[in-house]
Amino acid sequence: MGEALIETDGLTRRFGALAAVNGVSLAFETGRVHAVIGPNGAGKSTFLNLLSGELRATSGRVLLRGEDVTRASPDRLSRLGVGRAYQTANLFPEISSGDCVWLAAQSRLPSSMLFFRPAERYPQVGVRAARALEACGLSQRRSAIAGQLSYGEQRQLEIAMVLATDPSLLLLDEPLAGLGHDEALRIVALMREVAKGRTVILVEHDMDAVFSISDTVTVLVDGRVLVTGAPDEIRNSAAVRDAYLGGEVA
Amino acid sequence: MRRQALLLAAAAALAAVAFSGDRFWLQFLGKAMIGCILAIGLDLLVGFTGMVSLAHSAFFGLAAYALALLTNRLGLVNPLVTLPACIAFAAAAALVIGWLSLRATGVYFIMVTLAFTQMLYYLFNDSPALGGSDGLYVQARPVDSRVAAYVVIWLALIAVYLVLSRVLRAPYGRVLEGIRGNEQRMRSLGYPTRRYKLVAFVIAGATAGVAGYLDATLYGFVNPAQLGWRQSGLILVTVLLGGKGTLYGPAFGALLLAFIEHYGEKVTEHWNALIAALVIAVVLFLPRGLAGLLQGRPRG
Amino acid sequence: MSLSLFLVQLVNGVEYGLLLFLVASGLTLVFGVLGVLNFAHGSFYMLGAYLAWWVSARSGSLLLGIAIGLPAMVLIGLLVERLAIARLYSRDHLSQVLLTYGLVLLFNELQSVLFGNDVHGVDTPEALSWAVRLGEQTWPAWRAFTSLACICIAVAMRQIVLGTRFGMRVRAGASNPEMVEALGIDVRRLFATLFSAGTALAGLAGMLAAPLTTVYPGMGESVLILSFVVVVIGGIGSIKGAFFGALLVGLADTFGKVLLPGFASAMVYAVMAAVLLWRPRGLLGAAAEGR
Repeated sequence: MGEALIETDGLTRRFGALAAVNGVSLAFETGRVHAVIGPNGAGKSTFLNLLSGELRATSGRVLLRGEDVTRASPDRLSRLGVGRAYQTANLFPEISSGDCVWLAAQSRLPSSMLFFRPAERYPQVGVRAARALEACGLSQRRSAIAGQLSYGEQRQLEIAMVLATDPSLLLLDEPLAGLGHDEALRIVALMREVAKGRTVILVEHDMDAVFSISDTVTVLVDGRVLVTGAPDEIRNSAAVRDAYLGGEVA
Repeated sequence: MRRQALLLAAAAALAAVAFSGDRFWLQFLGKAMIGCILAIGLDLLVGFTGMVSLAHSAFFGLAAYALALLTNRLGLVNPLVTLPACIAFAAAAALVIGWLSLRATGVYFIMVTLAFTQMLYYLFNDSPALGGSDGLYVQARPVDSRVAAYVVIWLALIAVYLVLSRVLRAPYGRVLEGIRGNEQRMRSLGYPTRRYKLVAFVIAGATAGVAGYLDATLYGFVNPAQLGWRQSGLILVTVLLGGKGTLYGPAFGALLLAFIEHYGEKVTEHWNALIAALVIAVVLFLPRGLAGLLQGRPRG
Repeated sequence: MSLSLFLVQLVNGVEYGLLLFLVASGLTLVFGVLGVLNFAHGSFYMLGAYLAWWVSARSGSLLLGIAIGLPAMVLIGLLVERLAIARLYSRDHLSQVLLTYGLVLLFNELQSVLFGNDVHGVDTPEALSWAVRLGEQTWPAWRAFTSLACICIAVAMRQIVLGTRFGMRVRAGASNPEMVEALGIDVRRLFATLFSAGTALAGLAGMLAAPLTTVYPGMGESVLILSFVVVVIGGIGSIKGAFFGALLVGLADTFGKVLLPGFASAMVYAVMAAVLLWRPRGLLGAAAEGR
C-alpha cells in the first residue's frame, strides 16, 4: 500500500438540488495510474474539475500531500504540481505549438515578472519545452499554429503542455475522446511513458485503454463511488456491469 | 523589414520637423505624438492582454492635473522632479483603480473602468478648487521653448515604444499574450493571471501619465474634458484603426486620427459624423486596422 | 433636514430610480441575452425625449408626443438592430464598444442636425400640472404619474418574463444564448424584438423625463453611465437586479446631491465600487459559481 499523493474526503459539489459529486472519498496512491470511469453523467468531469481547482466544492475536502487544498485556486494547484489536460482543445489557438509549450514551461520559473531580457534568453525554459514536445512526438510541428493542428496532434499538444509544467500529479480528462484507432494507440503509448514516475488520475471511456494502463479503477455512478479495485476485479464485477445498464464493460 | 523601414522613416520625418521651426506643425505634430504615446500604452492593454479599458484618459488627465497643481501650488517646475512625480501619481492611481476594476471580469471590467473614469471627471469638473469645468493654467512649464517641448515629446515617444517593445519580448510579455489567448488555461498552467493584468494596467496607466504630463507641458492648460469616457473612446479608436496588438499600428492610427480631426473640422462642421462613419467602417470592414493591411496574413 | 424635505427627496429618489430602471432594464437584457455592450443606449433615451418635445411643441400635447414617439422608437430600435447590432453578435468586446461608440457620435450629430442644439422645456399635460402636498413641500403630479407608469411597466415586464413563452425564451437566452439557438428558436426574431423593446423603454424614459430635466444635447450621457452602474450593481441579465440597483442608485444620487453637493456624482460610483468589492458579479448577477 503506497501513500496517497492526493485524497478526497466526502467531496461534494451541488448544482442547485443536483449533487453532481456526492460524498466522494478516494485516495490516489503516489506513482500509480488510477482511472475513474462511469456512465455518462456520473460526475467524472466534475470530480476532475474539483481536483484542479476550477470548481469549488460545496462540502468535503481535498488533501494534497496531507495539505488541505480544497479552496486552492487553479494556479496555486498547478504550482503545487497538479497538471490538468483537458478534454476539448484548450490551447492557445493563434500561436505556434512551440510557443504554447513554451508558455507552459515558462510557468515553472519562480516568477514571470521579468521585463528586460527577451524570453529566449532563458534557456532553462526552452530546454523544458523542447523535451516536452519531443516526448509527445511534436518536435517537427513546433512552428505549426496550434489552432491548425489536426485533432490528434492537438491532443498530443495538450499533453505536451501539461508535461512542460513538470507535474507530479497528472489529471487526464478523456485524452482519447474522438480519436481514431491508430491515434488512440499512439496516445496510450504516450500515456504509459508519461505515467512513469508520476501519479495519474485518468478519466476515460475507452475501456481497452483504461484496463491496459491502469493500476486501480474507481467506478462512479450518480456522483457516488460504486467500487474501487484492480482492473480485473472491476471488469468482472456484476455490479459494475449493471451500473452500465447491462452493457458490456470490456 | 518593411516594418522597420517604415518606423525609421516615420521617426526621421517627425524628427525633421523639429528643425523647421514651423509653429503650427510643432504644435500639431507634438499633440499628435502625444496621441501616439497614449495609443501605444493602450495597445499593451487592449491588443496584447485583451483588456478593454475606458480608464486610459483618466490617467492622462491625472498626470496633467498633477503637473498643474505641482507648479501652481508648490512652485515645483523642474522636470527631473515633476516628471517622475506625475508618472508615479498616475501609476499609483492605476494601481488602485486597476485592483478594484480587476475584481470584475469581461464586460463588467469595461463598465467599471468607465465608471471610475467618469467619477474622476466629475471630481475635477465639479471642484472649484481644481479649476472646475474651466480647467487650470499651468503657470510655469517644465519645458519652455516650443522646439524643446517637441523634441522631448519625440524622445518620449521613441522611449515608450522601445521600452514596451522590450517588455513584450520578455517573459512577462509572453504571459500577456497567453492571457489574451486563453486566460483560463494560463491559470491552470500556474500563472496568477490577475497579478499580471494588474501590472499591465499600471504600466499602461504610467504611459498615459507620461502623455498627460507632456500635454500639460505643451499646452500649458489642463481641463476635465481630457478625462472623460469620450476621450478614452477616441484612444480606443486609434488602437483599432492602427491595428491592435502591433504596438506600432496604434501610433499610426493616432497620427491618422489627428489629421482627420484637424482637416475634418475645416471641411465640415459635422466632422463628428465623419469620425463616427470612420469608426463604424473600421469595425465592420477593417477589424485588423492599418497594420492588418500591411501584414496581409494573420499574426502567428 | 426636515421631515417633509426628506420625504420629497425620498420620493424623488424613488422616481429617478424608476426611470433609471426603464433605461437599465433594456440595457441589461441586451447585455444578458444578446451579449452586446451597447453604448448607444443613452442615445435612445435622448432621441425619445427629443421626439416627444418635437411633437408636443407642435401639437401642444406631450401625451400625443409619447403616443407617436413610442412606435417611432420601436422602429428605430429595429433598424439599428438589423443594420448595426446584428453584426456584433459574434464580435469581441472592443468591436462592440467602438461600433456603439460610433453610433453615439452619429446620433449626436443627427440630433444636432434635426433638432438643433438649444435647450428646450417641455410642458406637462394640463391634467397633470398640479402638485401633491407633502408637509410644507409639494411634489409634482407628473412625477407621481411617471413613477406609477414605471411601476406598471415593471410589473408587466415581470409578468411577461415569468409568465409567457416569449419571457421563457428571454430567460433561457439570458442564461445560455448558445443553447437557445441550438434549440431552433428563431433567435433573430427574439433578438430583434428584445432590442427594440429595450430601445423603446429607454426612449419612453426620456419622454417621461423630458418635462423634468428639459431636453438638451448630451442628456443621454449621464443616464447611460448611471445605467451601467445600475447593471453592474444589479448583475447582467437580471431585471430584478436592475430594479433594485436602479432604486439604490436613484436614491444615492438624489440624497447625494442634497447632502454632499460637491461629491454627489462621486457618491454613486462609490456605491458601485463598494458593491463590487463585496460581490464581483453584482448583487443579483450569477453568483460566482466555482471560480
